[in-house]
Amino acid sequence: MRSDGLLAMLDRWGRYALPGATLLFFVLLTLAPLRAPYLSGALPLLPALVVFQFSLATPERLPGPLLLVMGILLDLLLGGPGAPVGVSALGFVLIRAAVVNNRRYLVGVPFLFQWFGFCLLALGFVVLVWFFTALWTWTAIDPLPALMQYAVVIVIYPLLAPLLARVRARDPLNVPDASRGTARPGETTS
Amino acid sequence: MAIRDDFEVAASQVRTAVQRFALGLLVIAAFGAMLVGKADTVLVEHARVLALDLASPVLEAIARPVAAANRVIADLKEFASLREENARLREENVRLLAWQTAARRLENENERMRGLANFREGPEASFITARIVGDSVSAYVRGALLNVGRKAGVASGQAVVTGEGLAGRIAEVGENSARVLFVTDVNSRLPVLIERTRERAILAGDNSPQLRLTLLQSVAGVQRGDRIVTSGHGGSFPVGIPVGEVVETGEGSVRVRPFADFSRLEFVRVVDYGVSGLVGGGSGPAAPSAPPAGVRIR
Repeated sequence: MRSDGLLAMLDRWGRYALPGATLLFFVLLTLAPLRAPYLSGALPLLPALVVFQFSLATPERLPGPLLLVMGILLDLLLGGPGAPVGVSALGFVLIRAAVVNNRRYLVGVPFLFQWFGFCLLALGFVVLVWFFTALWTWTAIDPLPALMQYAVVIVIYPLLAPLLARVRARDPLNVPDASRGTARPGETTS
Repeated sequence: MAIRDDFEVAASQVRTAVQRFALGLLVIAAFGAMLVGKADTVLVEHARVLALDLASPVLEAIARPVAAANRVIADLKEFASLREENARLREENVRLLAWQTAARRLENENERMRGLANFREGPEASFITARIVGDSVSAYVRGALLNVGRKAGVASGQAVVTGEGLAGRIAEVGENSARVLFVTDVNSRLPVLIERTRERAILAGDNSPQLRLTLLQSVAGVQRGDRIVTSGHGGSFPVGIPVGEVVETGEGSVRVRPFADFSRLEFVRVVDYGVSGLVGGGSGPAAPSAPPAGVRIR
């Protein structure tokens, strides 16, 4: 047992709570009545961006059950009669799994690769949500607004990702692990 | 020690097994939530209302700075066209003053006619003013969250209006929050009248900025520029709230532009008409033909 001071303990707790708190913030921000053109339409995709970005380095701080809860919360808040509740949760969980299983292509690589990875995963997310919403409400939903949303969030990624990465960079655990594949993500060998 | 080691080995095996199937379990859980939501809509409704009530204080806190930011954006846009806007407004003011005179004269006339005919008006509407604290606008929904709820007298199905016209109706009500479904939402169906011809129709949203007019007896009678107002059928809406104007008439499809400007909504009014309609399903006191005792009849 380590005997830490109160500050150190708070610090550690803060670090553990940070990704979840950031995600919660962006889930709530989804509802902010922001009237900036284009941007306000893309807000619902930002939580997916946060999940992607934090899954890169510290996925153990965004555990699956938490993602499940956040996704369901997002769906509940976003509303829409008949819209599937839990589809965002499914998307979050899949994004996290995809990132964790493809760490070798996504962590410690040039930014463009990460961006490309995000493009692919976000497209998957958008298609998933669109498909299930169309299926659940049994209407042919115009995919154009969803694609517009996608395009905007792709453009936002380079602006927001470094900011989130900066938050993460202050983390002593954020060291690229030497033995990729075997070590649990985020774990260090000390 | 040996027992303890055994235990740890077993525990780690369980942990690996759980980790291996964690993704599968989570996916199944997400699907489970979706299926439950499909099967038990009442449960989901309750969950939505609960989430809404929990989130609305937070949203209210961030609504003010967001509103300030919006105002800055709007100001920047307006600075560019200040001169033209002024000229346009002055012109409009002259036109509106003429209309005001006409309206006053007609109101007087109406009053006298009603007195003569012993006309009984519907229950009087009262208003609840609300701030929009959240948008629920995505690729699939057009709506907003209000900071008033059941405590303030808001009920499901009530009309939500802005200064310009109808914005939508209340879809879900919490204790201190409510969700508006805009007329532009794909789930919105509104019984309306064409003001000029008094013809009935249904106005449907499709998540685009414009609305679709359907179920007309004769599409031919509709012209561009016709005003569309609520018909009051179905109960909970007052008659004659302006909704929009026809901007496009084509083969079998008529497009309507809503008067309400959804891009700059900040405050709205919830119309409490005092009657429960087909969509209300709850607290309204009486049928439209028999106004409740507390309502004064003019």
